[in-house]
Amino acid sequence: MTPSPSFSANRFLHVLLAVYALVWIITAIQPLDWPTWALENLLVVIFIGVLALTYRRFAFSNASYLLIAIYLVLHAIGAHTGYAASPAGNWLKAVFGLARNPYDRVIHCAFGLLLAYPLRELMIRTGGIRPGAASWLAICLILAVSTFFEVIEAIVAERISPGTGPAWLGAQGDEWDAQFDMGVALLGAMAAMLITCWRERAAAFHSVSS
Amino acid sequence: MTEKPFSRRRLLQVLFAGFMIIWIVSSVNPVDRSDWFIENLLVFVLIPLLIFTYRLLPLSDATYALLFVFLVMHAAGAHYRYADVPLGYWMQETFHLSRNHFDRIVHLSFGLLLTYPASEILRRIVKLRGFWAAVLPPVLIVSLSGFFEIVESIVASVVEPDLGAMYLGIQGDVWDAQKDMALAIIGSVMPAIIAAKIKPAWREPD
Repeated sequence: MTPSPSFSANRFLHVLLAVYALVWIITAIQPLDWPTWALENLLVVIFIGVLALTYRRFAFSNASYLLIAIYLVLHAIGAHTGYAASPAGNWLKAVFGLARNPYDRVIHCAFGLLLAYPLRELMIRTGGIRPGAASWLAICLILAVSTFFEVIEAIVAERISPGTGPAWLGAQGDEWDAQFDMGVALLGAMAAMLITCWRERAAAFHSVSS
Repeated sequence: MTEKPFSRRRLLQVLFAGFMIIWIVSSVNPVDRSDWFIENLLVFVLIPLLIFTYRLLPLSDATYALLFVFLVMHAAGAHYRYADVPLGYWMQETFHLSRNHFDRIVHLSFGLLLTYPASEILRRIVKLRGFWAAVLPPVLIVSLSGFFEIVESIVASVVEPDLGAMYLGIQGDVWDAQKDMALAIIGSVMPAIIAAKIKPAWREPD
C-alpha cells in the first residue's frame, strides 16, 4: 500500500475541512430540535473521528473526501432544519407537486451516489479487489448498510412512538417508506458506479492514445 | 477444490434429482397458481444459472447442499403460499403465535444457509482476503435481502395496488420488511462470526 500523503501537505483537504467545519458550526446554531440534532450528529462525530484516526494508515483520495464532505453537508442541513421540514425539500415538494417533503429521499439517494465511490476505493486499496468486482461490491455494501439502517430506524421508531408504525416522522405516513429509501440508495450507488466506470474507461483510452 | 465432472459427483446428482422431484411435486396443484409462478421466478433464474455456470464455476458439495435445503423450503412456500404453509400453522398453534411464521423462518434461513455459498462464490470470483473475506459474504446476503424487499414492494403495489400493507406477503404487519431483513442480518452475521472464529482458513484465499 502506498503511504498516505502527509496531512500538512494536502491543501485541498485543509480547505475542505475548513468549509465543512464552518457549515457544521452554522447548522449547530439553533437547530429545529436539539435531541434529534444530537442523534443525527452522533454518527457524524464517530465517522469523522474514525476518518481522522485512520488517516495515517489509510487516506482516501481527495475525490473521495470531496464526495464524503458533500454528503456530510447535506446531512448537516437535514439535521439543522429537521429532515421532514427542510426548506429545500419543501421547495421540491411545491415544484413537483409531491405529497411529502422528499429531502430524506434525496439524502438516501445521495448516500449511494456519493459514498459508493469512497467504499469502492477502500475495497480496491485495502483488499486488493479488482476494480470491476469492487464496483459491484460497493453497490452491495451501500444496499446492505441502507437495509441495516432501515432495521435500526424501525427499532428506534417503535421505541419513540410505539404502535404508530409508519405514521411516525421518519416515514411520513408512507407504508413503503423503507423500500423506497433502499431503492433510491441502490439507484444512487448504481449511477455512481456507472459514472466511475465511464470515467475510468475514458481515462484509460486517453492514456493509451496519447 | 474438487474439480470432478458432474458424472462423478454422486451427492450432486442426488441433490439435483431430489430437487427436481420435489419441485415437480410442488408444482402440481399449487394453492394459487399466479403466486406459485411469481415465487418460482427465483427458481427459473437460479437453476439455469447454476447449470450454465457449472463448467466455469463448479461449487462445493456443501454449497449445493445448502442451496438444496433453501430451495426445498422455498418450493413449500410457493406450493402452499408462504402465509399458509401447514408447518407455519402448526407452529402458530403450538407456540401461540399471532401469525403463520413460515416466511420468517425462510428469511432467517436465507442468511443461515446462503452465507457460506456467498462466501464461496465471492472467494472464487474475487480473490478476497482478511477483513473483506469475513465481511463481504454477509454484506452480499443482507443486500440481497434488501433487494428482495424492494422487489416485493414493487410486485405488491403492481399486483395488488389497493391492498398495500395488507398484501399477502406482509400479513398486515407494518414492520414486516424490517423484521424480515433483521432476520436475514442475524442469520448471515452469525455464521460469518462463527466461521471467522473457528476456521481462520476461511478468511484465506484457496
